[in-house]
Amino acid sequence: MNNSPAFNRCAKLAALFCVASLATALIGFAADKKEEKEPTVIDPGPPPSDAIVLFDGKDLSKWQSAKGAEAKWKLLGDGSMEVNGTGSIMTKEEFGDVQLHVEWATPKEVKGHGQERGNSGVYLQGRYEIQVLDSFENKTYFNGQAGAFYEHNAPLVNASRKPGEWQTYDIIYHPPKAGADGKPVPGSFTVLHNGVLIQDHIPVTGDATRAANFQGIAPKGPLVLQDHGNPVRYRNIWVRRL
Amino acid sequence: MKTNEWIPFLLAIVASSSAFGLLRGAEHAPVGYTDTPMLPGGKWHVHDPDRPQPKVVTLGTPETPGKPPSDAIVLFDGADLSRWRNDHGEPSRWVVKDGAMTVPPKKGKDTPAEDIWTKEEFGDIQLHLEFATPDPPHGDSQERGNSGVFLFGRYELQVLDSYHNRTYADGGCAAIYGQSPPLVNAARPPGEWQTYDVVFIAPRFKDGKLESPAHITVFHNGVLVQNHTEILGETGHKILAKYKPHGPQGPLRLQDHGNPIRYRNIWVRPLNISNE
Repeated sequence: MNNSPAFNRCAKLAALFCVASLATALIGFAADKKEEKEPTVIDPGPPPSDAIVLFDGKDLSKWQSAKGAEAKWKLLGDGSMEVNGTGSIMTKEEFGDVQLHVEWATPKEVKGHGQERGNSGVYLQGRYEIQVLDSFENKTYFNGQAGAFYEHNAPLVNASRKPGEWQTYDIIYHPPKAGADGKPVPGSFTVLHNGVLIQDHIPVTGDATRAANFQGIAPKGPLVLQDHGNPVRYRNIWVRRL
Repeated sequence: MKTNEWIPFLLAIVASSSAFGLLRGAEHAPVGYTDTPMLPGGKWHVHDPDRPQPKVVTLGTPETPGKPPSDAIVLFDGADLSRWRNDHGEPSRWVVKDGAMTVPPKKGKDTPAEDIWTKEEFGDIQLHLEFATPDPPHGDSQERGNSGVFLFGRYELQVLDSYHNRTYADGGCAAIYGQSPPLVNAARPPGEWQTYDVVFIAPRFKDGKLESPAHITVFHNGVLVQNHTEILGETGHKILAKYKPHGPQGPLRLQDHGNPIRYRNIWVRPLNISNE
């Protein structure tokens, strides 16, 4: 190899330049790294572009029965599906912290009283139920009416629409977690019913709701819609992981 | 000495990649400040230009305004400003037209801004309002479609045209200004109506000291953007927010930031929730 002073000087200069370039490169990378987090723009279209659409009316491909078999709720062809006595259905995918949007309608033809009228339910992680019920001029126990965290917490107000009309739930859910000392750290529910706040960051703690398909604290679980024997309809179901 | 042979290659690679990095960096003029106090957590300055930008989510066509819930206090239904006042308790100059109220044009160059305040005061609330930023847009960053919703007249939920308009993350639309960027950027294009659905739990003070901070949950166009976010204190520019004790109720204030923002369909539901 050439060890002449001229070459060494040249190599030193080159090395120096290399170091300087590396430094600028690092700054460049830092800028690029920042750029990696730059927001991506996605084509419009409801629901929000970063949502996982669980049901858009076309099929039940994202769902299965509680036993892992095919989901058999009735597709009505108008973008909705209907409970038909084939059992509760659950998502194939599992979720933890989420924003969930669900639309539902209780039967237009009113039958039964209290818990027997338009009963269904939305179970987060297959464990914790936000009650679906026809609570329009239909008395029942308060923590069992529409929008209740079933048997835990009554809704702040009764914001129910009439039987047969479409209603919305917008839910923010955080699962309870196993604490270091063995005691569970509560999760939380915030729920808007037809745009009205009905559950405000209430704690989610304790055992799973009665009739839940899953038990115990877990980071994730499927979303379950309950078949309670009443032909409740659902549509436009989407979820955003938080 | 063999490594010497690699130097030219390294140089070429490093130089080109750094040049590329610099070029790409130059695409964005810096937005924000680094001469500002650190926010709690020690990670970001107030208005930090390096704070990651919220991810953009896009939505469908805005729905027509819905009917307010029956237990809501309608603050503005498009007809008049009877429930509002200006900074001095006098009738406001905001312009009511086509069912919307708009930040008024300036009388002269030196006229001060004219915020608008509710006459009524509120504590814990659910708030719904709709706003639209000017179309076509003017200006960049904080100069484009800027306004704000001040809870208790003090705690700002930012209103800004954040549609393809870069600014510091804690100053974007739906940010708790100078504190918490939105979880995602759910802005609609200029001129389109956008919604805020807000749950605001007021701070509690006892014997002149903060007992519990304010919390805010915000849906922007139906998308969760503030998730039970703790508010650090009164909003300011280039300062770290601090609480100043106040009563259990305060007015709602909408900001005149010199841009003709439109508002409509404003209603509030006082919440009867014990402190958490």
